[in-house]
Amino acid sequence: MSPHATARLRIAVLLFIAILIESALGSDMRVGGVAPDLMILLTICAGLTGGAEAGAWVGFWAGLMADLFLTSTPLGLSALTYCLIGAGVGALRTAVIPERRLVVPLAAFVGTAAAVLLFVALGDMLGQTQLLDAGRSWLIRVAVIEACWSAVLSLPVAWVYGRAARGSVGAEQLGMIGSGVVRGERLPLR
Amino acid sequence: MAVYRRSTRTRYVLAVLVLAALTLVTIDARSNGSGVTSEIRGKVHDVFSPVQRATHSALQPVGNFLTGALDYGSLRQENQRLRDQVIALQNQSAQSTAEQAAADQVLRQQGLPWVGAIPTRTVQIIDNGSSNFENTVTINKGTTSGLAKGQPVVAAGGLVGTVASAGSRTAVVTLITDPTFSVGVRLDAKNIGYAQGFGRNDPLRVSVITTNAAVPTLKKGQVLLTSGLDSELYPPNIPVGKVVDASRAPGSVEPDITLQPLVDLNELTYLQVLLWAPQ
Repeated sequence: MSPHATARLRIAVLLFIAILIESALGSDMRVGGVAPDLMILLTICAGLTGGAEAGAWVGFWAGLMADLFLTSTPLGLSALTYCLIGAGVGALRTAVIPERRLVVPLAAFVGTAAAVLLFVALGDMLGQTQLLDAGRSWLIRVAVIEACWSAVLSLPVAWVYGRAARGSVGAEQLGMIGSGVVRGERLPLR
Repeated sequence: MAVYRRSTRTRYVLAVLVLAALTLVTIDARSNGSGVTSEIRGKVHDVFSPVQRATHSALQPVGNFLTGALDYGSLRQENQRLRDQVIALQNQSAQSTAEQAAADQVLRQQGLPWVGAIPTRTVQIIDNGSSNFENTVTINKGTTSGLAKGQPVVAAGGLVGTVASAGSRTAVVTLITDPTFSVGVRLDAKNIGYAQGFGRNDPLRVSVITTNAAVPTLKKGQVLLTSGLDSELYPPNIPVGKVVDASRAPGSVEPDITLQPLVDLNELTYLQVLLWAPQ
């Protein structure tokens, strides 16, 4: 099996383990009623370590797996949201985000908050008005607490993702070194 | 040139993935919760349930530790209260094993007076749900045990929710605090309304269905029951919640009624599904 295929397989296994951990522990980790979201965090890590294409692919599959465990929102809504966030983080990483260790928690914070807001906005546009029924204060609370969770968990998760993504196309292109923090030059703006 | 080709490919991949996601959303939205996509979700729940149960059991100590660590502030207060209780309980013969507690919980749910002759199934929660936008739990029985979408779910205190989807061996229950949940309630002899969920940890809000009858006057602490009108989704007289507030805003004709669920939705393990369909 080629290194690229092996890396893809490792990422798929990592997503599977993440969804199991999230469904088993997520409800026990609620702060102010808000649980962390490992799938969006992995998506952001994919964008940071593999660029826009890897972010989009991982985001799509991570979102689809998350969708399978939801009932009131349509299948594909999380996939659409995470795919766009992964691609966005990846595009920013290759274009403007500099190489700094602090970038990972910062990107995790901003990316997660953006994902929550985008999920609700897209859902509302697609007729899922119940997402706004709990009120704006709840939405802001979810965005902030979930973003804080992502920032806290980002370094260990990015390290694990970096190990899993070793040898993948995007990681090679960005010169990833396996620690979850990338060591590449800024690429020209696409 | 290579960067340009790569960039074009990235845009192409993104467009394909976005279209695929939108297609799934459209198919699912059109099937209205009863098409191929909900079948897939049910099958996935069935396949995942043994792994989920094993993961949940294996990680339960970690979960308990995290719950304790994250609720440290409130735990200190509760600790003092519990110390007092322990002293009192030491004088009693207490066989408080986990199995005994579970059995007690199931036994408390047997012969609930308001269930009447409706057949029930005792189910266990296998996943408490980790979504921040829907309040659901996954239970360990499905269509092979007679469960179907729309059946009411209760516990010892009263109404807990409704079966949102059912696979062959598992089902997902929407809790009464979920924003998609609403149930008809009887306010007094002449007035009815409907209670709607507004998110985890928030009370339900009741909207009065306007009639020519006098505006209902409710007391704080009064328990509201399901109305059970014709074609109502729930049988009559199941306790829904306790009135927390029924004040009338200045200039408003109808009171703003909020209800606290009678069942502690954070402490559920066993539930009863009523094998009941709207008449």
